[in-house]
Amino acid sequence: MQRAAMDPAEEPPSMLWGLDPVFSAFARLYVRDILVMTESTQVPGIYFYKLHPIYKVDVLGTVVYKRERDDFFCYGVDDGTGVINCLCWKNDLFKEEDPAPSGAQHSDGAQGGFNLVAELKKLRETQRSRCRLEIGELLRVRGPVKTSRQQREIMASTFYKVDDPVMAVQVAWMMDVPQLYRLCYDKPPQLQPDAAGDSPISVVGKATNIIKDFFKQKSVTRFRPYDVQDLLQPLIPCQPQTASADQEPVAGPSACQQLRQLLKEALQVLQDEGVVYRKVKSQDEVYNVRTIRDVSIPPVTRQLVTLVRTPAVAPSQVTARDTDLLIAVKDVIREDSRREKYAEKGCHILHVLSAVRQRHSLNVSKATLQLVLKSLECNSDIVSTSEDHYTAF
Amino acid sequence: MLPAPAVFHFPWEVNSGEVQEGESVRVFGRLVCYQPEESRATLSAQHASKEHRVAVHTLFVEPFNPIIGAQYLVLGEIEKAEGVGAVIRARVLNCVDGVNVALLQNAINEQRSFFIEREQTSDNAQAT
Repeated sequence: MQRAAMDPAEEPPSMLWGLDPVFSAFARLYVRDILVMTESTQVPGIYFYKLHPIYKVDVLGTVVYKRERDDFFCYGVDDGTGVINCLCWKNDLFKEEDPAPSGAQHSDGAQGGFNLVAELKKLRETQRSRCRLEIGELLRVRGPVKTSRQQREIMASTFYKVDDPVMAVQVAWMMDVPQLYRLCYDKPPQLQPDAAGDSPISVVGKATNIIKDFFKQKSVTRFRPYDVQDLLQPLIPCQPQTASADQEPVAGPSACQQLRQLLKEALQVLQDEGVVYRKVKSQDEVYNVRTIRDVSIPPVTRQLVTLVRTPAVAPSQVTARDTDLLIAVKDVIREDSRREKYAEKGCHILHVLSAVRQRHSLNVSKATLQLVLKSLECNSDIVSTSEDHYTAF
Repeated sequence: MLPAPAVFHFPWEVNSGEVQEGESVRVFGRLVCYQPEESRATLSAQHASKEHRVAVHTLFVEPFNPIIGAQYLVLGEIEKAEGVGAVIRARVLNCVDGVNVALLQNAINEQRSFFIEREQTSDNAQAT
């Protein structure tokens, strides 16, 4: 049970404390743990529970000790594992005198049944009664932990009496806290900003974002994988370039292989989202980028439309080939809407999908088509008549 | 200045000697009788088809409204007297009638098993 300050070497640097969600929360620790938390050497006033930086706590317990002064209450709170002093400042509720009687008479006649002054007085009384507790009552306290005169105490930012006639609240608390310990407090915090333990999912997420930004910046319409491969280089942890003689060869995939694997995963994600598609599945891996630009709209209006409906995209020169897919979809819908069969209801998305696949490319995915239809609708080229049905005029 | 923390115990643990003299405990039970002249109350609880009784000295918590048959929660120190057995000198006596006793027992056991688990892991950590 060390109360001494932590070993400075063990403490995580204060810059990274904000990364731990427990630091920003009112930690529901047992009083026993609060009393023996080690204090930080970097910042006095912050404590550590198993490497989690703790600043404020949340306690529920029985009042077993009470001391009242003009400005504050000091309640000793016992939660079954320990007893701690809680400094509860009296706010203005206790300092105000009763309102002048003249005020009460004024509003009596005016409001009829509802006397505002009397109601306010009742509210104040209720608030006061929730703050003034006797020994044996249940108190909930939340606030930062302070050490004063060698004693730990909680400076209450919020405190109130808990009405718990059938012990429901206490029982729930007793069941919850061990779970909280198992799930949060006893698990070591993830305080490394760029941890080696980064899950593969987030790295792929970063990769797709990098590639999407590249598309927007360079207004890419078609590309091959090697065009974007170099963009992902920074995401691969590089091998240390030490010239030491006894550098061991690192087992596992080389940087090149990792890069290629990441690229493959990122392109797959982009295909699933519908951002890119392969028009022709051949040995030559060419990807088409679904574009949200339309030839007909003048640049200024286009910019406005895209600003309103979609993230801002820089306008650039648009060639006829860019909007192949867009035009193909538009044509399909326009032509089929003229047919009697689809005149009233419009074309179902799956019908459009099969038509586009026949006409344009077999590899258009439903996700890609959905994004194209959405952008066409934003440009008012087509209209959706109902869920998944579209028509053009 | 601050009293010792009152740990939850079951009524059948109080008389069986599992609790030491002077220890602060929290115990629940049904109020079966109350003698105001002697400041004595008796709480009872059923466990393993046996009735267990706990004697409570109520001097510090009087006056209180005794509801015979209601569930109470007592918080206080164990005193062992000759011929009487263990008596709890109550600092807090709350009526908690309506409490789900089974749930409360579960909660107490859950908390205990968590603390045991903790001690075991810390023992393992120290041993290794």
